[in-house]
Amino acid sequence: MRGFNVLLQKEFKEAWRSWKFLWIPLVFALLGMSDPLTNYYMMDILNAVGNVPEGFEMLMPELMPVDLLQASIGQFQTIGLLVMMATFVGVISKERASGMATLLYVRPISFGAYFMSKFIVMSTVSFVSILAGFAASVYYTSILYGTLEIGSLLVSLCTYYIWLLFVIAVTLMMSASFKTIIATTCAFTVIFVGQIVDMIVGLFWTISPWKLANYGTLLVRGTMEMSDYWWSLTITIALTILCICIGIIMMKRNAAMAKI
Amino acid sequence: MTTILQVTGLTKQFAEHKAVDDVHFILEEKTSTALIGPNGAGKTTTLSMLTGLLKPTAGSVKMLNGDLRTNIGFLPQYPQFYPWLSALEFTEMAARLNGVTAKNAKLEAQKTLEFVGLGNAQHKKIATFSGGMKQRLGISQAIVHKPKLLLLDEPVSALDPVGRREVLDLLKGLQQETTILYSTHILNDAEEMTDQLLFLQNGKLVEQGTLREVRQRFDEQNYVVEFSNDQEAKLFASSSEHVIGCYVYIEIVNEEPTMKELLQRLSGCPYTIRKVERQTASLEEIFMKVAKKA
Repeated sequence: MRGFNVLLQKEFKEAWRSWKFLWIPLVFALLGMSDPLTNYYMMDILNAVGNVPEGFEMLMPELMPVDLLQASIGQFQTIGLLVMMATFVGVISKERASGMATLLYVRPISFGAYFMSKFIVMSTVSFVSILAGFAASVYYTSILYGTLEIGSLLVSLCTYYIWLLFVIAVTLMMSASFKTIIATTCAFTVIFVGQIVDMIVGLFWTISPWKLANYGTLLVRGTMEMSDYWWSLTITIALTILCICIGIIMMKRNAAMAKI
Repeated sequence: MTTILQVTGLTKQFAEHKAVDDVHFILEEKTSTALIGPNGAGKTTTLSMLTGLLKPTAGSVKMLNGDLRTNIGFLPQYPQFYPWLSALEFTEMAARLNGVTAKNAKLEAQKTLEFVGLGNAQHKKIATFSGGMKQRLGISQAIVHKPKLLLLDEPVSALDPVGRREVLDLLKGLQQETTILYSTHILNDAEEMTDQLLFLQNGKLVEQGTLREVRQRFDEQNYVVEFSNDQEAKLFASSSEHVIGCYVYIEIVNEEPTMKELLQRLSGCPYTIRKVERQTASLEEIFMKVAKKA
């Protein structure tokens, strides 16, 4: 892992100076607070917008705090992932295409160190983001709907974070393997098509990384089948490690693609 | 002189196209070698293989007395930097990645930036740098760890005349300390700072040697004699010699006439001779001849 510390510092500086530590958590915080607020003030919003016919009545379901958390996670799963993947998918391929990586590749650094420095910084940005998202969601939920049990909430947060690590590993692996456009297509296909497949056959396909986001909420509800949970967690961690290894190999193999 | 780099049978094939074809050469310590050739000759591919970015299809690159990757400094033709870093941060990072300790890296980076003339701009973000400043920063990141071999890909071709002069002067200063291999298609630059020439064409090394050796092989032995007027020039010239105005062009073929004969003829000449000059072909003319021969 030669050069790891130097590369890690460089990656942190880049993330800090490009405001990634601010705006991505902000996006997640906004997503996190949107569901508790919009659901609670739905009637007021409709009345304020107008055009509601006279005598109109709407029966709102009585939402439990965990329903709001699930809704927030749903937001993270779509817009949140989209933002995160779009931000990270070019980190290796763009550096290679622009020639910025050339001045690093000709030095005696290890490709493992370079890949891992990027993975760790992205994981940190993701952790701060998901923390901001969960905090915003839980804060408004507890004010407007009632409190959530902190222990299960933390387990839910960690579970979702492990899923995010898998997403980051897939995104980085694609970036190391292909040019940016192809990497984007492949990464989005793997993650979002996986989600669609999970929606269609999820009742039967109970062990997969795509299940983790949902299992996090089930843990809070206390209705989780634990063997499915542990198997999904194990497989996700194993696949994350596999993606990291493939990413490092592809990064080394594609070093010759760096623009001179 | 000590050999520092040995390149043997270096070949790179891309599908059907051989970009570099069986290239052999050696580099001596603290010499400057120009890799010359037209666009597409294989200069950048050769340098890419020397840096380790490209894997050769065949052949080997061997650095004697050390590991190649830790002992080279490389400047690409269009160096790209992280615009959000300052010049000092980038040079310091380059030093540390090449094994300079954290304690010394900053000091070395500052010294190097002073040397390349960026001392006053070391804390500025690279995003604000001009092309010339970026090229100097490129040299700085390539030399900060004091490499044994400096590889430069067209180091001045993208610069304006002022920037070119500045960078050439910098490189001349470095000639005393390190071995330099640089590619160029600007032959005046090569003429200015070169101990050895390597002519590449269509991936093949078609000619190599010192500037003097190459000149001896390809230079025409012509002399020009300038008279005070056209009439005298015409009267002096023999039927086989060209006369243009007041100049007579004497071509030496197979050492005929000999220098002695020529001097005797000139000393016995009754006309006013203003100047006698040996014509030296420019590197560009030699290059054209090499290209034609290949």
